[in-house]
This record gives sequence, C-alpha cells and structure tokens, in this order.
Amino acid sequence: MSEKKETLVLGIGNYLMGDEGVGVHAIEVLLKENFPENVHLIDGGTGGFHLLSFFHDYDPLILIDATMDEEPVGTVRLIEPRFASDFPRTLSAHDIGLRDLIETAILSAPLPKIYLIVISIREIRSMVMDLSPEIAQTIPAIVQMVKKIVEKK
Amino acid sequence: MSNRIVVDPITRIEGHLRIEAEIKDGKIVNAYSAGTMVRGIELILKGRDPRDAWAFTERVCGVCTTVHALASVRAVEDSLNIVVPPNAELIRNLMFATLYMQDHVVHFYHLHALDWVDVVSALKADPKKTSDLAQSISNWPKSSPKYFADVQKRLKSFVESGQLGIFANGYWGHNAYKLPPEANLMGTAHYLEALEWQKEIVKIHAIFGGKNPHPNYLVGGVPCSVNIEEANSLNAERLAYVGTLLDQAQEFINQVYIPDLLAVASFYKDWGAIGGGVSNYLAYGDLPMNGYADISKFKLPRGVILNRDLSKVHEVDGKNVDEIQEFVKHSWYEYAGGDEVAKHPWEGETKLKYTGPKPPYQYLNVDEKYSWLKTPRWKGHAMEVGPLSRMLVAYASGRQEVVEEINGVLKALDVPVGALFSTLGRTAARGVETKLVAVWAKEFYQQLLSNIKNGDSRMFVKDKWEPSSWPSEAKGVGLTEAPRGALAHWIVIKDKKIDNYQLVVPTTWNASPRDPSGQRSAYEAALIGTPISNPDQPLEILRTIHSFDPCLACAVHLYDEKGRYVHQINTF
Repeated sequence: MSEKKETLVLGIGNYLMGDEGVGVHAIEVLLKENFPENVHLIDGGTGGFHLLSFFHDYDPLILIDATMDEEPVGTVRLIEPRFASDFPRTLSAHDIGLRDLIETAILSAPLPKIYLIVISIREIRSMVMDLSPEIAQTIPAIVQMVKKIVEKK
Repeated sequence: MSNRIVVDPITRIEGHLRIEAEIKDGKIVNAYSAGTMVRGIELILKGRDPRDAWAFTERVCGVCTTVHALASVRAVEDSLNIVVPPNAELIRNLMFATLYMQDHVVHFYHLHALDWVDVVSALKADPKKTSDLAQSISNWPKSSPKYFADVQKRLKSFVESGQLGIFANGYWGHNAYKLPPEANLMGTAHYLEALEWQKEIVKIHAIFGGKNPHPNYLVGGVPCSVNIEEANSLNAERLAYVGTLLDQAQEFINQVYIPDLLAVASFYKDWGAIGGGVSNYLAYGDLPMNGYADISKFKLPRGVILNRDLSKVHEVDGKNVDEIQEFVKHSWYEYAGGDEVAKHPWEGETKLKYTGPKPPYQYLNVDEKYSWLKTPRWKGHAMEVGPLSRMLVAYASGRQEVVEEINGVLKALDVPVGALFSTLGRTAARGVETKLVAVWAKEFYQQLLSNIKNGDSRMFVKDKWEPSSWPSEAKGVGLTEAPRGALAHWIVIKDKKIDNYQLVVPTTWNASPRDPSGQRSAYEAALIGTPISNPDQPLEILRTIHSFDPCLACAVHLYDEKGRYVHQINTF
C-alpha cells in the first residue's frame, strides 16, 4: 500500500426510493467526468457494513448522501464533519446508516478527512427510480462541488 | 393488571421494527411485533426484464445483498428451465459462504454481543487476568496483558470523551449482565478485531462479483471468466488470494468467534429455557453440490420440523400453492378476496392500505391491522426461520457433520438437546453453522480449482439468454437461505416481461403479525414468558429479538426520518 492514500468519492443511497438515491445517481454522472487516476468513484448503494473498509483505505473521502432536514428542498451543502454526531441521520433503508457506519469506523482507526455533500430532499418516494425535477437539477452543483474539493486538495 | 411497554426501534442500529409487550409479575404475557416501514419492491419490478430483477432486489438491503440476487436469478432460471454449469454453482456457493461468515460474525459481535457483554464493565477488568482467560480458551495470538491493557485504554478514552458512539445505546450496568469484567473486556477487544476482520473476507465478493457492495450476478451462470494468466479475469493470483482469505476466515472463526460464543454462553445457560417460540422450523436449504435440482446433495438440507419433533423432517415444495401462503388480516395491505384469505406468492397481491393510528401515538391498535409485514404460513403453521431452523433440519436429517458439531456444543455447555429450542440455542446454532460453512467453503474452493485445472472453464449457459427462446408464459421460484433465514422469490413471466414478482423474506416469517386464527409468529411467540427485571430497560426483549438477527430493510421498505409513517403512496 502506498504511503499517501488516494481519494474516494462514495455515493450512498437506495435508488429504489426516488430522491433518496441521489448519491448513487451523482456517481453515475461523475463516472463520465475526467478525474485524476488517484481519484476513485464508488456506488456504495445500501452497502452498510460492507462500506467500512473504505473509511480506512482512502483519505480523503467525499461522501454524497440525501437527507431530510430543515433546509429548502434541493439545497446542496458541504459539511466537514469531525465527530459522528456531526453527521445527519441517513435515510437509506439499509438498516446500517451512515452515522452508524462512522461511529463504528471511529472505533478501529482515526477517521480520514471527510467531506460530506448532503442534498436536502422532501420525501422518500417508494418504487420510483427517477429523481424528482428539483433534485435532478442539483446534480451539476454536486459535480462542481466534488471537482472543487478534488482540485484544491 | 399487565403493563405494556414499547421498544421502538428494536435494532441496535437504525431500524424499523417495533415491539409492544405486556408484562405481568415480571414476565411477558403478550407481545406484538410490527414492521414500521412499507414494502413495495414487487411493484417496481412489474413490467421489467426478468434478467434484470436481481440487480433491483439486491438493492433493497445492505446486509443480505447477494442472497437476494441469488434468489432472483434462481427464480428466473427455474421458470425458463436453465441449468447453470458446475463452476457457476461453486462460485455462487463461495459467495454465499462468504456472506454467511461475514454476516454471522458481524451479527454476533456487533449486533448481539452487547446484549450479553457489558462494555462499561470492561473498564474494571484486570488485563492480566483477561489475558489468562483468553489463553485458557484459545490459542489466538492477540492475548497478552499489554494487548488487553491497550484496548482498555482506548475504550476508556471513548467513554471519557463522551463519544460512546455505537456503544451509546446500551443498558450498561443492568443486573441481567452476568459476565465478569475480564470476559467483558475480552468480548470488547474481539468486537474491535471482528470489525477489522470482516473488511477482508468480503473482498471475495469483489473478486467473483466484480464489485462490492452489490456484486454482479447473472441469469444462467456467474459473470466472471476464468483465465489463469490474464490480468483482468479470474486468474491464478486472484484465486490464490481467495484461498488465503478463506484460511484467515476459518482461523478467526475457530480461534475467536467459537471460543467467545461458548465462554459467553456458559454464563447464560438459563437462556437455554427462554425464548423458544413457535416450535416449528422451516429451512429451504442451500449449497448444492450436484446442481440445484438435486436437493439431497445440499450441504444445508431442506425441510420442516413441527412441534420440536426431531424424529421427522417434512418435505417442502415452494411450488405447491397449498403450502406457503401469506395472510394480510393484520397487515396494512388488502386482498381482492378479503382479509380471511391466504395467497400463494404466485397469486400474491401488493396493495397498500394503511389503517393505523396517526403518529405520534402511544400504542398500535393490535385488534386491527398493525404491521407492514404480511403473515406467511406453511400449511397453516407459523414457522421460525434462521440458523436454528437450518441446523435443526440438518440435525434431524442425520447430517453427520452437523450432528457432531451440535452434540459437541451441547456437551461443552452441559445442556440437554431441549436447550436448542431457545434464545441461547438460536445464538449457538449460528456459531455452529459458521464453523461448518468455513469448512465447506474450502471444499467449494478446492473443487473449483480442480475443475479449472481439468480444463472446465464454463461459467455461463447462453442458450436461453435471448427472450425469443422463452415461452409466452412461465413461472418459477428461487429458494435460498439468507443468513437470517429462508428466502424465496416467486416470478411470473408473461410476454418476456415480469408479470408478478413476490418476495417472502426471513424477517417476514419471524416478525410478522398474527394470522386470522390468532396464531402468533416467531417473535411474538418467543417473547412469551421472557422475564423482564426492569421494564424501563427491557434488555431481555433485545436478547430474544436480536437472537433472530432481525433485518427489516428487506422485510419492509420505506420509512421516514422522523418516524412518521409514509403516507399513502400513489405513484404506481
């Protein structure tokens, strides 16, 4: 393993649940972009504990996930969380949410630098695989945000 | 007068299962289990290409993932009479075994152990005595006094920083915790080691399935080509790595998991008489060694045991419309034929009808519909599914390896066979199964290597791949075993598209509400008689429910962050 860890962009979410899957949709778009070789893109889906190794193998980690918070729908925010409690509750129906994952990852090793891009959604729509128009239009902003983080690092 | 307590959610981590239990004189006298998230994957699949169904079903859950894909490709193969090549079966078995080892270990340490191990008490342990204890039960190398002192130091800094994280939800100090501080420290140390270990074993999924999470499956075989010298296919280096991972997995299971399980269990033998439940056990079985059609050669046999009678194993037929059926009398769905009828999944309907109280509410109205789970029955009987069912069916079928392992555990703990029908039995059966699966995985691996060496590189049959070769109508069933129990997908194909698709998942069997005749399902039945020493901290409920390894993500599919029920969905 090389001394300097490489960058991972990890999209999380359930694409069977409409806007909740925005993280996975964003990865699909990002895969068409040109990134340096040391930037990896993974569709984390509803991976739960299967995602744990990513928190130890990469640094920094750019996470993309949906949230239902008090912000207007379609808000894209960049959070740089330091503690598990800084993470919003994730929405995915994967039983092991992002916060659970972070809390667990902290136990075995220091966390890498994490950039968390959260997209505020209105509702989870079951059995819908497309994004709603107001969330679909956030994708370019997410892509820009990822590019900016990758460039400045 | 009984007192009703509510535990919601009941999973240690995020979850969507709610238990309402009535307590009288320190014991549970009645219990209701409710899934608080709606289900609907069936609706998303209608009209799609059957060959794609696995990719959708794999997404419903982050815990079981691959077994949904397996059940799905099998259902399609069954409906189109596709027989996959032996190598494909072996690789599917290896994927299956990998999931079992990872998932059972994660369940034991990360979802269940904290019901028995008091992490905070570990702070009081003497590292030297902990080292003596560890060395007395295993020759696992990480067992020096310094090692345990370091773990204790790390734990202390977590507690002092107030960042208890995933340990924050425990009932620490509860009087039902019986382990000495040293055993608690050992358990906590292994909790951390298991986290590291599980990251490695799942790499097998990426090797055979191209990626992890959510590896690739394929109707007709497996999506990998073998070429010993080629960098991008299943080559000699990757195959050797699988062998190394399997060796390491077995080492951890035999030297850490099993000794810990027995050590912890020896302090909780009273739980061998608690949590029995429905007394009927169903296993579809899996791990074919001679093709999926030859049930007799499954490593995990198929069958049903009724009323704890281990002298008889009943046959199970997933296609017989009178055997497996689902009711919706107490579930938020409606059938065209009304609430009293039962439907085989081929005729299954998924029409939502939420009639529960508007949240926030105190109690569910359990006389009416009260769960998003349907109620499955086998010939009208409530069944338990899971590792205990699989091990009991194998034991009663006289499978030598299983009989020996189970008898060995009973002897080591000095408990009778009857102790298997319990919370403790469920947890022990999971360990026995993991140990056996680790052995079998190496057998699959050796067989695969030998096939490849002999020139058999077939991974896929393509003769029925093109829809033009399909009949205008077909139906099939894919039976498998998720780590937490019997899993099946039923498919009806019409004009090359999915016309109906139904899943009956393990947690639906175990966590479902009552049926029209009032029979309780496994969770509700298993809680009856469970002692509750402190209703404000119902640790004992968690022990029994967690022993089933609940996974609600695939049993029910939608919820909302603030715990509100998702309103009527009108997009389909």
